[in-house]
Amino acid sequence: MGTNKKTKAGVKKYKTQQMIITVLPFVALVGLFFLFCGVVQSKGYRLDMYLKIIFNEGVVLAIVATGAIFIYTLGTFDISLGAATLFAATLGVTVYNSTESFGLMVLTIFGCGVVCALFNSVLASVFHIPAFVTTVAMMSVLSAVAGQIITTKGGALGGISIPSEIVKPYDTPVFKIVILVIFFAISFFVFQLTKVGRRQKFIGGNPVCAKLTGIRYNKYAIIAFAMAGLGVGLGALLTLIYTPSVTTTTASSIGMNIFIAIVFGGMPISGGARSKIYAALVGGFSYMLLNDVLELLIDNSAAYGLTQVISAVFFLLVVYITGMNYRSTLLPR
Amino acid sequence: MSTSKRIVGTLAIPVIASIILEALCLSHGQNIITNAKSFDNFVVYAAIVMITTIALSINLNSGRFDFSLGSMAALSAVIGAKVSYAILGGGAGSAALMLVLTIVAGAILGLLSGSLYVLLRIPPIITSLGVTLIYEGILYTLTSGKYLMTEVQNASMSGFVGTSVYAFLIILAVLAFSILLFDHTKFGFDYNALKNGQKVAVNTGIKEVGNAVICYMICGGLMGIVGFLNAARNTNINGGQLNFGSIAIMFTAFLPMFIGSYIGRFSNEKLGFLLAAVVMSLLNSTFAVFSNEVTASMQSIINAVLLVVFLIYLNNENLLVRILSPRKK
Repeated sequence: MGTNKKTKAGVKKYKTQQMIITVLPFVALVGLFFLFCGVVQSKGYRLDMYLKIIFNEGVVLAIVATGAIFIYTLGTFDISLGAATLFAATLGVTVYNSTESFGLMVLTIFGCGVVCALFNSVLASVFHIPAFVTTVAMMSVLSAVAGQIITTKGGALGGISIPSEIVKPYDTPVFKIVILVIFFAISFFVFQLTKVGRRQKFIGGNPVCAKLTGIRYNKYAIIAFAMAGLGVGLGALLTLIYTPSVTTTTASSIGMNIFIAIVFGGMPISGGARSKIYAALVGGFSYMLLNDVLELLIDNSAAYGLTQVISAVFFLLVVYITGMNYRSTLLPR
Repeated sequence: MSTSKRIVGTLAIPVIASIILEALCLSHGQNIITNAKSFDNFVVYAAIVMITTIALSINLNSGRFDFSLGSMAALSAVIGAKVSYAILGGGAGSAALMLVLTIVAGAILGLLSGSLYVLLRIPPIITSLGVTLIYEGILYTLTSGKYLMTEVQNASMSGFVGTSVYAFLIILAVLAFSILLFDHTKFGFDYNALKNGQKVAVNTGIKEVGNAVICYMICGGLMGIVGFLNAARNTNINGGQLNFGSIAIMFTAFLPMFIGSYIGRFSNEKLGFLLAAVVMSLLNSTFAVFSNEVTASMQSIINAVLLVVFLIYLNNENLLVRILSPRKK
């Protein structure tokens, strides 16, 4: 009788913890949003301008990270996505400057994003190279090639660009929200309502068991990387729409920020059944809000450094809380 | 495995690489090592690569991906440089003092990183991401995001990298230390047991937490040496490495780590890392010979392509052997 009561109490506690973990990212996002608005107004800055900056930074991270969730769900990761975004944008600008065709530029950007991602998946699944190594190598190659193109064609200007009037009609919140909603809806559909998403979660949770039940890893890895490639293409396009010039530092931090965005959104980096497609969307905007709040509050020469330290502490805290129910006696690897 | 096979297996890659690279340089009318200065650079770079590779492999071999190595190297070097400059003002003995302080600072940073990992019990890749951001942030705050130059530009520091003797001694010391520690002590036996079978090792009574923390501490100390050598070689320390800017240091060690592990099949893994570092340093010296033709971007591409090609071979070795070996009738 007593044991039964204890078990029930344990289950209730577990369920409560799970609910908190699920709700926490949303609460954090709303809280950070109001905090951000409060800080901007208390400083006497223009809120509409700051919201626009947050939106433009957050939308690129959210889209690229949403695509990346398919890869992370498999229990692997890709740190070359930032470099791929830079490379796609660079090629897009180069193609536009050679052809003056906006359509061809968009096609190039998307083609480039998907091909880069698929190349990673081929190296990982066909040649059996660990994904972390292939993506490290790809990051070096893509950054180097993009850097070479930018410095060769950009010359003393230090960057390459397209005429701003070409992309200005698209530089509106409505256009960007539509892109975000469409991409998120497609990702949600594939992830939540098809066998592709279910099987990817299965592979991420237990690859051996998935293999034994006849699930082909290569097929789902290729789909995951292709979705990430689409995200990269969209991210590169939106980056160009917001800033029609590309330098060697464009999108440089996206690759690693994806990790943080996903974790802030409440998804474990190890992937599997607990993966959530909305994690990147919620986490991406939360991270951008937190960063900007801290930069506004710490207003001195060391602001960037301190901002990063506080963000990191917050990041570790979030991971610790969200992983509370999954502690093992062995150290995690 | 026969002794001759071991010797051939151990030396094959370094010898073949040396011959190819020397031939390339000769076709350009030069040698890989052209004078005493280039030899000094060669040895210092080999030391940097070897030590980074050993530090990377210690945790990676145990399934612990550590992004924070670069930030530990940079932050420990800044701490060492600032404290040694405050004590000696860049005078005689500054380099030796900075080396000692940098190693101690690196070990403490490693200890903190390891402690955080075992306390929070979250995946090491996540812990290392957080730690990297924290250390980069502190680095930026200490230097205001600028290059640290005054503290590392003195006769003592330039004398340290002006000769290959010190780098040689460091290589020997690190190699001897790591071989002794990981191959001939109880700590090393425990480390290898945990590496090859975590659950079984823990069930037999091996203290995993202590072992992991010491591994992180050793990595920190080693990265302290790397930070010091980089500071002496570049005559500055970049304090503005935010947003994971420091992780590039780690990437230089991937190719030598895999080459070293391959060579380690025929001899000792740590010796393999030394030989792999020598190969990488030869490649770096060859790039210097071709500096007018091969840009920094092209060097990155060549390194990445070599890494991928080597890994394709390594991960498909059995398949290649099956395809290339004559079929038995």
